[in-house]
Amino acid sequence: MTEPRAFSSDGQRYLDGEPTETLAPAERASADRLTRAVTAYAANLRAPDARLDRVVMRRVLAEAGPTHGGAWRWLLAPRMVRVRPAVLAIAAAAVLLLWWVSARPAAAPLVPATAARVPDTVLVRFELSAPDAHEVSLAGSFNRWEAPGIPLRRSSVPGLWTVTVPLAVGEQQYLFLVDGNRWIPDPTAHAQVDDGFGRRNSVIVVGPRGVARS
Amino acid sequence: MNTLLLLALLASPAHGQQPDLAARLARRGAPPDFAQAVSQLAAEARAGGLPVEPLADKAFEGLAKGYAPDRILPVVQALVARLREGREAVVSAKLPHPPGALVAAAAEALGRGIGRAEIVEILQAAPTPTDAAVGLTVAASLAAQGIVPDDATRAVTDAYRHGHSSEDVLELPSVTSNWFAEGVGMPEVLKRIRSGGGLSFPPGLNRGTGAPPGDFPGKGPPINPPGKNKNPHHP
Repeated sequence: MTEPRAFSSDGQRYLDGEPTETLAPAERASADRLTRAVTAYAANLRAPDARLDRVVMRRVLAEAGPTHGGAWRWLLAPRMVRVRPAVLAIAAAAVLLLWWVSARPAAAPLVPATAARVPDTVLVRFELSAPDAHEVSLAGSFNRWEAPGIPLRRSSVPGLWTVTVPLAVGEQQYLFLVDGNRWIPDPTAHAQVDDGFGRRNSVIVVGPRGVARS
Repeated sequence: MNTLLLLALLASPAHGQQPDLAARLARRGAPPDFAQAVSQLAAEARAGGLPVEPLADKAFEGLAKGYAPDRILPVVQALVARLREGREAVVSAKLPHPPGALVAAAAEALGRGIGRAEIVEILQAAPTPTDAAVGLTVAASLAAQGIVPDDATRAVTDAYRHGHSSEDVLELPSVTSNWFAEGVGMPEVLKRIRSGGGLSFPPGLNRGTGAPPGDFPGKGPPINPPGKNKNPHHP
């Protein structure tokens, strides 16, 4: 006897136990046969042994290996690891970056190295009498000798150039740069010191309350 | 493959040098050979526990003043030697790992005639290495003003031993400058320095909003045009 490959909607309702009046006799007979076969099969099913869980878990653990020293063995055991080459390259770059960051020197503070000081900043006014100058600027340890440096402005006094600069407390070496090509010391500085090149730098020591000069 | 690449990069000769400094020098117009030579000097200095920034600054200064690289390099080399000597002086005062600022201050002091024994004296008198760096800077500045190194050292050590702060000590060059501006002769200046005259206030009082040694405004940061500061504490 060949059973149908699919039931009609009436046949499906009949299999679900719902009443139907319009089901064809042949389809009803087929549904009855299937129902009897399923009932007979279910009658032969037995509940699994209560020890099944224990038996299965014991076998799983036996195949996973001993638990003693498991982590160490896991680390040492040869394994096949799948890694995308791009991931490996990124990891290598990250390691390189970490190494570079740790190996490079700490960022230098933006303070002149010759000056030891307490952390403070004070406004200091610089003046230079240069009646013939077209431009005057200031450079020194405070701006790491970046020329042309900090520009001075003409004051209301004829020939006098001035600028007020926030300076870190401590010693500062500096010079005025006149017309972009002449380095001039400050006659009012605390001292003039050898610059190592055979000339002199002006020196002031900025205190927490400023600078008093001659 | 990647491991080999990583190892190759780690073994690169650029490692341990100062590519950053070379680039900074190049930005200031330094020729590549010179930038590389200074960078190499700086790397060796760093390996010897010396601060690198004074070397960079000296190279920047030479470039700014228009000196040729072969004129600047010996000056930087001489500074390395002086920094090394400064570090040795500091280490001899039982500071085995001195901070860079302290080494730089000791080197500057040596360059202005302050001796090793005097450097050790200042280190022993100052309460902290930071204060010692300030003390060395001030002693070096006083020496540059013409004060005998021994007196310059004693002015600093006495100030610290009597409880003055670094803020007080930093006023000494301004006070001395005022004396000279007022026409006080060197013998009298030395006499005042020796008697602690540069520190007009008892320890602990010469800070904050108290009357400063110069004629500074009472509020806000002082602005000090030359010739305007007269020391009101001048006897």
